[in-house]
Amino acid sequence: MTKKRIIIGGIVLIIMMTAVYGWYQYNRTVQGLAEVRADYSVNATALINEFVSNEDAANKKYLNKILSVKGMIKNIESAQGTIVLGDTADMNSVRCVLDSSAHPLTGALHRGAVITIKGAITGFNKDETGLLGSDVQLNRCVIAN
Amino acid sequence: MNLQIKKDFLFCCLILMAAATTIAQDKYFTKSGSIHFLSKGAIEIIQADHRSVTCVLDPKTGAIQFAVLMKGFEFKKALMQEHFNEDYVESDKYPKAEFRGQIVNNSDIAYTKDGVYTAHVKGKLTLHGETKDVETNGKITVKGGKLLASSDFTILMSDYNIAIPKLVKENMSNTVTITVNCTLEPLK
Repeated sequence: MTKKRIIIGGIVLIIMMTAVYGWYQYNRTVQGLAEVRADYSVNATALINEFVSNEDAANKKYLNKILSVKGMIKNIESAQGTIVLGDTADMNSVRCVLDSSAHPLTGALHRGAVITIKGAITGFNKDETGLLGSDVQLNRCVIAN
Repeated sequence: MNLQIKKDFLFCCLILMAAATTIAQDKYFTKSGSIHFLSKGAIEIIQADHRSVTCVLDPKTGAIQFAVLMKGFEFKKALMQEHFNEDYVESDKYPKAEFRGQIVNNSDIAYTKDGVYTAHVKGKLTLHGETKDVETNGKITVKGGKLLASSDFTILMSDYNIAIPKLVKENMSNTVTITVNCTLEPLK
């Protein structure tokens, strides 16, 4: 009798735990990156060069990783919450879309300043027109310094 | 004599510069366009946003191109984003989606005159390794030298070989509504 109860109780407990876990998984929101450690720390220009010289190898190395990218601010597009890093003489850039829940762009940021941005890399958008320059793109970005 | 050569050289330089400026001004572009997609099923509503859409428009020919990195779609729910990337669009294998098309009624749009114009767009959308014809109406608003381009259209997941698992087939929709919004600036 008691053995049966224990078994039934166990089964109920497992079902409940599975349900709670399932519910948690279902509602889990995308993690903010402020407290996440970066998988790679790189310079913006070096990162661009890696993608330009061998896109496949760079994709294998970096995709689905969190990157900490140090570079010079080339442009700030405040309307879209995007910070563009790279060398002004080079058409190619690293484009960082800030996390929408992160702090709004502060006045301390300006063109020419060197900053470190942490974000999730989403890939390399190769420019085929030759007019726009190619970009390494990051999203969910937070300013690391 | 020497002075004449110098003058000629300068003159040539000026012409080349002028030519370069006109060529450059020919096109409009953005790298921060947005795409929102929505798929409304019986139980599950799937939606995501992208804020780094590249678009180039040539007003002379009406040629229009979009490029988007699939991993850049942002979802609220983490699990949805993981399933989207891993199971549905397989973004490791097919990292980019592209649209190459044409504004059919390009001559109706006065790109230099402020106003709202309807653009009839026809082209090919490549997604998940499949290319399909897409036709839609969009709106182009010319304002202060910039173009605001917007459009929405629907696609079927099955057209792009994106399979919905049997288990959730009843809860999800095969139809996806895609909304595009871009502010295009003259290419300098």
